[in-house]
Amino acid sequence: MAFEYVPAIVLLPFLSFVIALFAGKYLPKGGALAGIAATAGSLLLSIWAFLTVRSQGAYQETIYTWASGFGEQPWELTFGVLIDPLSAMMLVIVTLIATLVHVFSLGYMNDEGETGLPRYYAGLGLFTASMLGFVVADNLLMAFMFFELVGLCSYLLIGFWFREDGPPSAAKKAFLVTRFGDYFFLIGVVAVFSTFGTAAFVGAESFPVLAEEAVAGDVTVNTFGFDPTTWFTIVGLLVLGGVVGKSAQFPLHTWLPDAMEGPTPVSALIHAATMVAAGVYLVARMYGFYAVSPTALAIIAFIGGFTALFAATMGVVKREIKQVLAYSTISQYGYMMLALGAGGYVAATFHLMTHAFFKALLFLGAGSVIIAMHHNENMWDMGGLKDKMPVTYWTFLAGSLALAGIFPFSGFWSKDEVLYEALIHGLGGSPLLLGAYAMGLLAVPVTAFYTFRMVYLTFHGEPRTDTARNPEPVRWNVKFPLSVLGVLAVVAGLVNMVPVQKVLGLEGIDYLHQWLDQSFDPLTAHHYAEVSPYSSGYIGGEATTVLVGAAVSLGLALAGLLLATYLYNVAEPTEHTAKLGAIKDVLYNNYYQDEFQVWIANRTQSVASVADTFDQGVIDGVVNGVSSVSLFSGSRVRRIQTGVVTNYAALLTLGLTALLLAFGLLGGWFL
Amino acid sequence: MVPAQYYLLLSAAVFCIGLFGVLTRDNALYFLMSVELMLNAANINFVAFSLFWGNLTGQTFALFVIALAAAEVAIGIGIILVLYRNFGSVSVTDAATMRW
Amino acid sequence: MIIEALLAFTFAAALFTFAVPNKYAGKTAFALSLVPIAGSLYMWSAFESGGNALTGGDIAFETVIPWLELAGIQVQWFVGVDGISLPLVVLTTFLTTLSIVSAWTPIDDRQSQFYGLMLFMEANLLGVFTALDFFLWFIFWEAVLVPMYFLIGVWGGPRRKYAAIKFFVYTNIASLAMFIGFMALVFGLGPSTFGLPEITQALANDQLSAWFGLAPETLKLIAFLALFVGFAVKVPVVPVHTWLPDAHVEAPTPVSIMLAGVLLKMGTYALLRFNFTMLPDQASLLAIPIAIVAVVSVIYGAMLALAQTDLKRIVAYSSVSSMGYVILGLIAFTEFGVGGATFQMVAHGLISGLMFMSVGVIYNATHTRIVSDMSGMADRMPVAVGILVAGAFAYMGLPLMAGFAGEFFIFAGSFDSTLLPYAPIFTALAMFGIVIVAGYLLLAMQRTLFGPFRLETDYEITPAPMHEIAPMAVLLLAIIALGVAPEVFLEMIFDAVGPILDNGGGL
Repeated sequence: MAFEYVPAIVLLPFLSFVIALFAGKYLPKGGALAGIAATAGSLLLSIWAFLTVRSQGAYQETIYTWASGFGEQPWELTFGVLIDPLSAMMLVIVTLIATLVHVFSLGYMNDEGETGLPRYYAGLGLFTASMLGFVVADNLLMAFMFFELVGLCSYLLIGFWFREDGPPSAAKKAFLVTRFGDYFFLIGVVAVFSTFGTAAFVGAESFPVLAEEAVAGDVTVNTFGFDPTTWFTIVGLLVLGGVVGKSAQFPLHTWLPDAMEGPTPVSALIHAATMVAAGVYLVARMYGFYAVSPTALAIIAFIGGFTALFAATMGVVKREIKQVLAYSTISQYGYMMLALGAGGYVAATFHLMTHAFFKALLFLGAGSVIIAMHHNENMWDMGGLKDKMPVTYWTFLAGSLALAGIFPFSGFWSKDEVLYEALIHGLGGSPLLLGAYAMGLLAVPVTAFYTFRMVYLTFHGEPRTDTARNPEPVRWNVKFPLSVLGVLAVVAGLVNMVPVQKVLGLEGIDYLHQWLDQSFDPLTAHHYAEVSPYSSGYIGGEATTVLVGAAVSLGLALAGLLLATYLYNVAEPTEHTAKLGAIKDVLYNNYYQDEFQVWIANRTQSVASVADTFDQGVIDGVVNGVSSVSLFSGSRVRRIQTGVVTNYAALLTLGLTALLLAFGLLGGWFL
Repeated sequence: MVPAQYYLLLSAAVFCIGLFGVLTRDNALYFLMSVELMLNAANINFVAFSLFWGNLTGQTFALFVIALAAAEVAIGIGIILVLYRNFGSVSVTDAATMRW
Repeated sequence: MIIEALLAFTFAAALFTFAVPNKYAGKTAFALSLVPIAGSLYMWSAFESGGNALTGGDIAFETVIPWLELAGIQVQWFVGVDGISLPLVVLTTFLTTLSIVSAWTPIDDRQSQFYGLMLFMEANLLGVFTALDFFLWFIFWEAVLVPMYFLIGVWGGPRRKYAAIKFFVYTNIASLAMFIGFMALVFGLGPSTFGLPEITQALANDQLSAWFGLAPETLKLIAFLALFVGFAVKVPVVPVHTWLPDAHVEAPTPVSIMLAGVLLKMGTYALLRFNFTMLPDQASLLAIPIAIVAVVSVIYGAMLALAQTDLKRIVAYSSVSSMGYVILGLIAFTEFGVGGATFQMVAHGLISGLMFMSVGVIYNATHTRIVSDMSGMADRMPVAVGILVAGAFAYMGLPLMAGFAGEFFIFAGSFDSTLLPYAPIFTALAMFGIVIVAGYLLLAMQRTLFGPFRLETDYEITPAPMHEIAPMAVLLLAIIALGVAPEVFLEMIFDAVGPILDNGGGL
């Protein structure tokens, strides 16, 4: 019953897009109310669908045939919905945060007197619709299509303030860098079609199932002359290109910090909680396919671990509050990738959920601070906001504790499970995973440090500017979303207290594990654990490992937190980064990654110029050369035309004589 | 009956005289006369072969050519007049301004 | 009879428009051009697909009347459509009307001749896509050049004469090569008529005999090459593409729309009809060189677009790039490859039409097309810029827009190709075009449309008028409609493509 309304979940925000675009000018609040109504409606429908999955199990239906081939086994390119525990959970997350962000936008955009609001709400509506379309997608092609559409919305919303120089440039970079990743993704989609003849995620004929059977040798598919496992690794890595781009993983992470040029609610919705999660979600969605390829998994884990650490180090030196959050987002998605690569399907999903809540919260909190600071984002101009904006402070603190991974906030549980999965599977005979684990672990204190550096600089100490002394107050429409997310950031971890279960031996409090097992047969967490190439190893017993792992990560997090407290929780903090010397420059300039990509872009431009010169000079030169030669020879040959009739007559006579001679000689007259 | 080759020799001689005139003179009036000679050389052939074959077609054609020659002279003299007005002479070498 | 009526009406409309006073010519031509749209839509609704016209399938709206005899071969008035040509007929009628509307602003001189020539060109284009007799087809094919020559040469930019002559001579020489190649086949076959179906089926049945001391296989190969070169110039592919940017830059906007939207498709349409339908064995023999040409066109064209500073040149070079995809789809010789290539012809026609139209609208307001002269146009012309951005994303292959559908079908089909060796590698290389296209379009948009408004003019830049926005909006809607529901055309295209693949099925 509820499932019949699933398309409406996607279509409602689309409707709000249409309304805002065409009628937003004439509506109060520039179309915001339509957006809120639509996303709230989607939220209710999503919750209904969620509850129905709980009672009736998963659901898949093909809704629309986009294109179909002919022949014996035609390719069917379809749109369909797949509502299983994973997508139902994601639906609720996305619609919830979208609704809250719409509400928050009333405070951040409408109350601040921005122009172009219809465009803004149209963008948000289209984004929400596309993202939800991506979430419910039941095949890889549909997922790709909506994956691209969210990229478009990201472009439009980052470039919302198009009259300035920065945002359009950042928007371009975001689209281009993710497009580079999507290029590989598209090859991957095409390869999946060519290999399996289908891109369905679920069913006996779905590509993850076929891949599994092909590796087992039960079916044969077109692997283009490769060994099945090798070919599936190649295809998996191609699809991973899109994931790396969208989820801002190394080396395609550079667009995300620039994307902070967009309005802050957009950063919260798109560049923290949902769109960036699309990559991770995609890997989780087709996890069965990755599970057959140990190499692909190892690469995912390694990219994830490296990104987690790499991005965290850059977050340490940033001055702008949103920049810190941007790097922490990259870093946190690194954890999710690490989890996926380490065989922790549930852990990744878990972290995806908690992170969506606490990172959206942090961004909205930052947005609230930015309103208060009259759009000054530099943390060194803030300070002492704690007393002036208590709601923002306490919710922001909750989010920060979650991000830093402090017990018992939500982030602790999910991050701990991520690291735990990497640890036990690493100990189970995959030394590479241990390396990734080590990087993930190293990132923990760094994360705690930069998070609390941000909290202290923003909210503690003495106000450092006049604006900070008299911040602009924020209204209910800012406080309400913060409060909702604040509560979630604290309690969301309770849905999956695996460590407690393992240590205390309580059964049945790993709700998320149970939940993700309720899907269609091959899409269950249970099945993924079976096909995963990893085995588990423990330090002592299972419970000991859990405790040791949790203690180490919590201890490291606390260490980072304490260091931040020591350095920055003072009345007049100073920039300690100078002590890092040259390293600070490297970090501040993001390891010169951006410069490197700009260099590549410039080199491409140079090659293009050379190609243009070649085209104009050589290829068109040949064409013009041919015409010049014709013209020149024509101008010579026409000299025969002297204009003197006598000459023409002489030529005629000569010609006749020559012809007669020729005929005579050939005809043998003279013999 | 006079054999055909005598006529042919005669017509060839007349034709060559005409051709010689066209190739060597630059006065347009000489041109007209020379062309007339060449046409008449052809007429001689027509008439001679007409007689030779006992067929009147050749003579008919000779009449056509005479009519044509008359028309040609009329137009030719008109052109020569225009030539004289424009170039102040009737030399064919002067009227070379439209080359190239 | 509908096709005859369509052609006759369009020719008559062209003549009538020549006689209309300049002042009313634009509106008259617009009103008259609605009739061919109605006609083509009727054809589309009444069309029942039944295979490929050339390989013996049903020919819709067919007429065959013996006309005259040349060298013992019957020339016929033979017209009809199948699933490959009908979408292009619809595309032609639609784009002509829209480009006529878009000409209302920029064309302010000799309007009646301009619109008359546009309609005359439309009539000939319809002839190209419906004629099924070689001679008839060739007459229309060549006759298209004449109005185009005048449209560029009379109403064009500063170097219009150079561009017009280059266009005319280049494509005409190519036509000559093509004509010779086809005639060699005809004389080798000795068919009773010039009807393309008869010739195709005779070739398929191996009825080609040696001619002029050339073995049938050699003859076929020579014919294939001559035809390929002839059509490649029209497409155009690298390295015979250089007439295109010059023609586009000099041509007035409405003419650019027709040039990119329909005229380029003549080349790919003919490639599909002649090279790939009649001589599939030779196509498979030359698969690798053709695929290389396709990939080089895609990448090289895109790189050239990246280096341009004139908006029209950017779009012109990107056409070279896009048409490379079509060639790749054709040489793949799979259902999605060839079908997708045909679909992409329509899709690219609409999208490039929209892009040229948008550039034209901006040019009408600013009188410049140079990227570095503009900045922040979005501030002054929000609606036009909005549609331009949408069109640019369509060009980049945004899903649910026609461009993505065409490109995806082509990529999926060519990756899967069995005829083309190393198909996945060629496909992956060609696909890199989607990154470069995003690069140059985004860069150009950022520089011209966004940022602070800065353009020093002594006149005010105002939002585009309704009659400039309306055709853009119509095109955008069509692009989205085709992207959401490609089956509208895809079904009939696939139906007509299937027999071609069976024809070369021994591969």
